[in-house]
Amino acid sequence: MIHSDPIAARVASCESLHPGLRRVVLVPESGGLFPAGSAGAHIRLALRHGDHLWRNAYSVVSPPNCRDSYTIIVRRVANSRGGSAYIHDHLKPGDTVMVDLPVNLFPIATIARKHLMLAGGIGVTPFLSYLPILADNKVKFELHVCCRGDDVAVFTALLAAWPDAHVHPDDGSPALDIGAVLGGQFLGTHLSMCGPEPFMAQITATAAAIGWPAARIHQEFFTGATSGTAFRAVLAQSGITIDVPADQGLLDALEAAGIDAPYMCRGGACGQCYLPVLEGIPEHRDHFLTADQRAANTAIMPCVSRAKSATLVLDI
Amino acid sequence: MDQGIKSRPRYQPLALDATGWRHLVITDQAELPGLAFAVPPDGAELWHIAAPRAAPRAAPPGAGSSGSAFATTGDMLTALAARLACEHAGFRLYAAGTEAFIWDAEAIARDTGMGAGEFFMCQAGSWQRRIYCTHCQTMTDAVTTSIVPCAGCGAHLFVRDHFSRRLRAFMGVRIDSEVHGDVPPAETFYP
Repeated sequence: MIHSDPIAARVASCESLHPGLRRVVLVPESGGLFPAGSAGAHIRLALRHGDHLWRNAYSVVSPPNCRDSYTIIVRRVANSRGGSAYIHDHLKPGDTVMVDLPVNLFPIATIARKHLMLAGGIGVTPFLSYLPILADNKVKFELHVCCRGDDVAVFTALLAAWPDAHVHPDDGSPALDIGAVLGGQFLGTHLSMCGPEPFMAQITATAAAIGWPAARIHQEFFTGATSGTAFRAVLAQSGITIDVPADQGLLDALEAAGIDAPYMCRGGACGQCYLPVLEGIPEHRDHFLTADQRAANTAIMPCVSRAKSATLVLDI
Repeated sequence: MDQGIKSRPRYQPLALDATGWRHLVITDQAELPGLAFAVPPDGAELWHIAAPRAAPRAAPPGAGSSGSAFATTGDMLTALAARLACEHAGFRLYAAGTEAFIWDAEAIARDTGMGAGEFFMCQAGSWQRRIYCTHCQTMTDAVTTSIVPCAGCGAHLFVRDHFSRRLRAFMGVRIDSEVHGDVPPAETFYP
């Protein structure tokens, strides 16, 4: 897995799409071009504000072949770790942020004869980079976005150029008959989804019930909420003890303490931040470890997971 | 004869996949081979090859099965492509028969975009092989012997266990490349 040093980027513009949604355009600080990403890729921003350091991942919504800038759309998340609030309240044109290379955990399934894309709210963002590629490749697709409130008008405008993209306002009644949409697809259609966990869980259950094979389902999880019960992490190799507060993730706490821990996706998906657990019971929230590995309680993905026990001893 | 080559496909008896809603079983045999299914495919649709008129065909296993009989596997595979083009999620395809037939069906299923968990294969009947000549690229069908003359260039091909999933055939390599005409007698290995 490639992991290289972050690149300095300058904020070229910040634009409020509505009070909870901000579009940010980044350009290389030294001029020139960014590394090329691919459709569905995300970038990670290192955001510094005072003593705070956030590393937040956002899908790149600009076309993958656009290398002079990366565009992201950031939702203000209530009770979040604070990175999105910082982007909304403080980030301004001219600021410098450090950007990790684009990473793609949600690439286009190119063997699909047709793409059925289902998005919940801000989960539309990875699909925004899919659309121009699918159109270029003349692949059939259908995008359904379920959203509410101010998102409806914004997403409708963003997708106005795509007749096969449909925005479904969620006004309390079921926004979209998922069973009908899935059931009407021919063989060879691949389902890709991104959205809140309950949204994806409902689709997954519906797909399973109609016999949609797992091999034709792809999904991208949001960076999970990392907050929970406070606990203590003991680092066996250095003897350092770190108190992880309720509103901070374990990986964030390690980094705040100056530990150079490995990481990549920060969403519990890629496996890069794997740490051996010597004592204590992890509260597994990742999508990487197998059921057997979880049950063994000998490893943790600190980017999303926490502790059930008061203390966790890590082999780092 | 085990040539110790790992690419040779291995097949298991079939069982209807309980996560599917509609099941189509196709075979290049006149009857569904008894050993193809671990459990008789009750309720599945069965496509088979029509038996000669003189010999009435035994009812296929599975009391609730419906079926169609085709004159040739070519007719059946043409119908299969048309059928898959209008099928929806929840459909499961099972191919039972000679390797050339089940891999022809696999090509159609793949071309439709079907993937793992939707399509199942089981060898039944003759173990005869489809051989790809590595010299002239001609396919020679229904090969039962260890050495076979290529239907294209006539070279005496040694029939290998090396199976190409892309070409959907076993590889045939000229056996007398070193000493022309030095061809050992062929033995029936794949009856």
